[in-house]
Amino acid sequence: MIAAGFVDFEITWRGDVYKDAPQSSSAAKFGTMGINFRARKARDDDEWAIALATLSCSL
Amino acid sequence: MTANIQSTLPSVSRAIEGLDVGELRRAIQEEYALVASEPEHGFHFHTGRRLAGILEYRDEWLEGVPEGTIASFAGTGNPFSVGSLHAGERVVDVGCGAGIDSLIAGKLVGPTGRVVGVDMTPEMVDKARVSARQMGAGHVDFRQGLAESLPVEDAWADVVISNGVVNLFPDKFAGLQEIARVMKPGARLQVGDILVDKAVGDKGKRDINLWKG
Repeated sequence: MIAAGFVDFEITWRGDVYKDAPQSSSAAKFGTMGINFRARKARDDDEWAIALATLSCSL
Repeated sequence: MTANIQSTLPSVSRAIEGLDVGELRRAIQEEYALVASEPEHGFHFHTGRRLAGILEYRDEWLEGVPEGTIASFAGTGNPFSVGSLHAGERVVDVGCGAGIDSLIAGKLVGPTGRVVGVDMTPEMVDKARVSARQMGAGHVDFRQGLAESLPVEDAWADVVISNGVVNLFPDKFAGLQEIARVMKPGARLQVGDILVDKAVGDKGKRDINLWKG
């Protein structure tokens, strides 16, 4: 998300949205959950650069 | 903004090696054309009003939205629960399906706002356009297109919403970059989607049946 230009990423909710669906799926096998998330496009390069600097993993 | 910093990032392909993107898109279109034409068919996901209830869509949001569009609702979350939309705002709905979230957004931003819903499945776009006409929602526009090449100008949107679609991007990074392109600086992204607790192996990532469910 950050590398694509976003900041302030936050998952706000997760829940089982596949339970009792009409057909079976691979959802349970992979622990698939519905989620809501939000983020914001960085206001400018400075804000984005600060967010990128917080990444501790390799891209 | 993007170009300067982007050039400093390591060059890493986010595309999935060996995935037939054309076949994937055809399979997804086929599945969602069926959701448009036969929403009662029964899928590996919930649809319609039942799903809207599971995802806690408010009755006032759904009021006035044509039943055909509600019946073909197939999201996985609730983009409106993570932030408000305001009168006069411009909204892009990525993978709008039959238009439920676009039409709700149209109600929330009002006639001084604008909403563009984009979907790659013609049957869904047709259904969404019919519903917009039924609602008299002239400020809600539906366009056929891909998430990776949105038919929207640069820095147009105050808010981008999406529901159950990002997981279907063959290249998540490219799709997210494209979403960022159409957003104004500081614009909000509000998304319903899915995540998996267990990692999907390389073979699984190439399995189109797994992408479909």
